[in-house]
Amino acid sequence: MIEVEGLSHTYRTPDGRAVSALDNISLTVAEREFVALLGPSGCGKSTLLYLLGGFLPIERGVIRFNSTPITGPGPDRGIVFQHFALFPWKTVRGNVLYGLEKMGLPRADREARAREFIEMVGLSAFADSYPSQLSGGMKQRAAIARTLAVDPGTLLMDEPFGALDAQTRTQMQTELLRIWRRSPKAVVFVTHDVQEAVYLAERIIVMSARPGRIKAIVDAKFDREDPQLVRTQAFRDRVDEVWALVHDNTAEAR
Amino acid sequence: MARLSVLPFLALLIVWEAVARSGLFTAFVLPSASTVLLRIWADGATGELFIHLGVTLYRALVGFLIAAALGILLGLIITRVALVRWFFEPIISIGFPMPKIVFLPIVTLWLGFDDTLKITMVVVDAAFPVVTATIAGVAGVEKELTWSARSLGANERQMVREVLFPAALPQIMTGLQVALPVALIVCVVAEMLTGGKGLGGAMLGASRVADSPGIFAGIVEIAVAGYVLVQGMSAIRSKVLAWHPEALPPATV
Repeated sequence: MIEVEGLSHTYRTPDGRAVSALDNISLTVAEREFVALLGPSGCGKSTLLYLLGGFLPIERGVIRFNSTPITGPGPDRGIVFQHFALFPWKTVRGNVLYGLEKMGLPRADREARAREFIEMVGLSAFADSYPSQLSGGMKQRAAIARTLAVDPGTLLMDEPFGALDAQTRTQMQTELLRIWRRSPKAVVFVTHDVQEAVYLAERIIVMSARPGRIKAIVDAKFDREDPQLVRTQAFRDRVDEVWALVHDNTAEAR
Repeated sequence: MARLSVLPFLALLIVWEAVARSGLFTAFVLPSASTVLLRIWADGATGELFIHLGVTLYRALVGFLIAAALGILLGLIITRVALVRWFFEPIISIGFPMPKIVFLPIVTLWLGFDDTLKITMVVVDAAFPVVTATIAGVAGVEKELTWSARSLGANERQMVREVLFPAALPQIMTGLQVALPVALIVCVVAEMLTGGKGLGGAMLGASRVADSPGIFAGIVEIAVAGYVLVQGMSAIRSKVLAWHPEALPPATV
């Protein structure tokens, strides 16, 4: 369980001006809940995710993971970045093994576990390839395998499919849901794509920009195993509703 | 690196030989290419060449290796520790463009004329491109890479060694490729200024007795030694950076 209370964050522009990125954010994410952070660019959604990851210092407010305030990054919170952030000098296998080595697992266990997760994302044939030899979708699969292999309780995803082409993107969304159903964990998924947010997340936190505030929280409980889901009226209505919220048309959405 | 074409060098040797034999210059001003090559051959036969070459390479390479280790280490520390950065940044800004050979007279008083002097001069000069390349390389590492490592459980030390260093390695290798010829240059110059063994010292000796074929022999030997060193370094680069897109066949998927 993630609890965020009264979180504010200010960053400094290169010319020294203070810009409020997040203003008084409070939210909770339950265990095994899939939550989307949705908003226009500049709404601080990535900043919020980096704060959850422990990559940025907390200035005001508090973030608790299972009742313990976070003080820095840790393997309990895995992260997947938009541009993959794979170690280019390591093969796919080497990348997946990295976190497992840090866990101190015996060699045989590490190898077995790396194989399992590489297979799960469908990259077995590319285990010995370097990242630069892979397509964008394959790189992101490798990055997801690397993050999931250390079994983080929470998965933080920063527009993970934003750099992929439309077709790969849809495919990766379906696969992410499949993986999440197989081993459910809390997911905080940052995106600016309304359709993606409604398709993936059980709860959508809509944010507004400058300063970043929570504008609305929308439930989106659907049967995601239904292959026709995106064509149902209920799904489309929810997309329209959230779209209106994002684009500041709250009146119309009601 | 492109394969060296031999023909231009043959052409140069022929022109050199022709000009030398044309009578435009005396054999003292411009000894013929054949005279110089025979001289190198003779020095090789007596073993003289290999003593001088060995001494110069020893000094240049030991100095280079110390400079590489110190430069990478200092570069990494400078990027991580604010106090160290505060101290060294201005020193590097002034020291890098400065001709470090100006320290030779004083270092000679401190260390004498021997190997220690030449190696020290090499280290001082060759470390600069390595330090600056390391700093630039680390500065260019995307934060997501270090964040990924931290989030996978790496501590600060592991992150520097296992992520920042390899991520900066392409630029560090470029720095080393700059530093290696610098090492040879500084070594030969120091030898020329102080005499004794080594290719530079041998040339100084030849100059003192007006032995112009001996001087030209030294020039050719140093050129060949420099070329071989640079080629070796380039081979090491492709080996060390085998993972880098520059070394890999293009993606097929």
